[in-house]
Amino acid sequence: MTGLAELGWGGVAASLVLVALAAAVACRQRLHLTRELIIASMRAGVQLIAVGALLLVIFAHAGLPGGFAWVVIMILVAGQVAGHRGTGLPRARIAATAGVATGSVVTLGALLALGVISAEARVVVPVGGMIVSGAMQAAGVALRRLCEDVQQARPAIEARLCLGLPAREAFLPHQRSALRTALLPAIDSTKVVGLISLPGAMTGLILAGVDPLTAIRYQIVVMYMLLAATALAALATARLAEHALFDHAHRLVPLPEPT
Amino acid sequence: MTTNSGFLLDQVTVTRGETRLLDAVSAHLPVGHCTAVVGPSGAGKSTLLRLLNRLDDPGSGQILLDGIPISDLDVLDLRRRVGLVAQQPVLLTDRVAGDLRLGQPTLGDHRMCELLERVGLPAGFAQRRTSELSGGEAQRVCLARALAVEPEVLLLDEPTSGLDGVSSGVIVEAARDHVAAGGTVVLVSHDLAVVRGIADTVLVLEHGHLIAHGHPDEIDYLEAGR
Repeated sequence: MTGLAELGWGGVAASLVLVALAAAVACRQRLHLTRELIIASMRAGVQLIAVGALLLVIFAHAGLPGGFAWVVIMILVAGQVAGHRGTGLPRARIAATAGVATGSVVTLGALLALGVISAEARVVVPVGGMIVSGAMQAAGVALRRLCEDVQQARPAIEARLCLGLPAREAFLPHQRSALRTALLPAIDSTKVVGLISLPGAMTGLILAGVDPLTAIRYQIVVMYMLLAATALAALATARLAEHALFDHAHRLVPLPEPT
Repeated sequence: MTTNSGFLLDQVTVTRGETRLLDAVSAHLPVGHCTAVVGPSGAGKSTLLRLLNRLDDPGSGQILLDGIPISDLDVLDLRRRVGLVAQQPVLLTDRVAGDLRLGQPTLGDHRMCELLERVGLPAGFAQRRTSELSGGEAQRVCLARALAVEPEVLLLDEPTSGLDGVSSGVIVEAARDHVAAGGTVVLVSHDLAVVRGIADTVLVLEHGHLIAHGHPDEIDYLEAGR
């Protein structure tokens, strides 16, 4: 007997009472969020059922190639989402997609090559999902910071170029600032993990009946892999954005006015 | 010095959207001279200055430096030969010394003191925080930072705009010294008194057209400001 590990559809349906409770609070307090809350709950249920069914098919029939294909799709979607944060920067979506892909492929590849995780679709897909998600957030934050910096700091960047500095050096302080902004949340959450939050992977494993020491080992790997994915994705995104921001004559390209 | 020395602009045109910022401008900016570019706001003066160190390229026409098209020169080398001081001073590091070493990392203390002296600042100024400087001091540090790279040509875009008399005087004097030492200065300024005091040659731009070019005494535009 492992408690919630045997959670059935009846249990899921019963948990709708909690949605009703939240909706009642929203309604009574006149937050004008009741409809949105119910739709979000329904949508989450439908999305997760669809994904669960798809994963069932992949795990049963498509095997490891299907798992990797799923990770590639996640990378492409994440690249589009993160790229949106850099609207106004040239080729932002390409930079973000390549950044997410770099962070994800290197991190997942290292975990597989080192034998930390087994090469099975049922492992590659959820672990890949966590990695891609972390990489997406880092790429999005890095792009948004670069976007804001470049629009405000054109005089400073051009002042460095006027001293004969190459584009990379002229841009370096802004790239560093974007990388710091992208990395700090991952470092902060790594610092306090277990102290002020029990992270998702560990919670899930404990709920599924795995003993806490095993769950902790997984969580340590998750935190480390997220640090790597975040750093690599932010760096690759920022470097690619830098290439798109300067032309062959080490000039900052014209950018649209911020809206 | 040959007739090719310095900048030669040949039918230079710059277009942004539907607007011609510079329209078929041809001129010679000789080496060892101070050439002032004057004209009303929006005439294309700053646009012209940005072409000379390739922060922008012309849409058509070409610019030669000592007879060689600047597009054929290594752009980083060109920018070290042609320094630019912008209208708004932008300091880039925490300390004055950091800014002075930005383009010249090997700059020694002695040379740093010389540069500060050239812009009328004491030697101890090198350790000042850049965030504490007044507008005039910041502009003087920007000029010293450009001079640290030892450029042949100094491009000054409204360098005295909004500055007190002392800072303006120091900047004009530093520009004059640069010319006296054989360097070239290209100055954009609305301050016609400064232009009359320093320029050997004046270009007058209006709506992107070069409407007059000659010795300051021959330029009617300068008389308007007397």
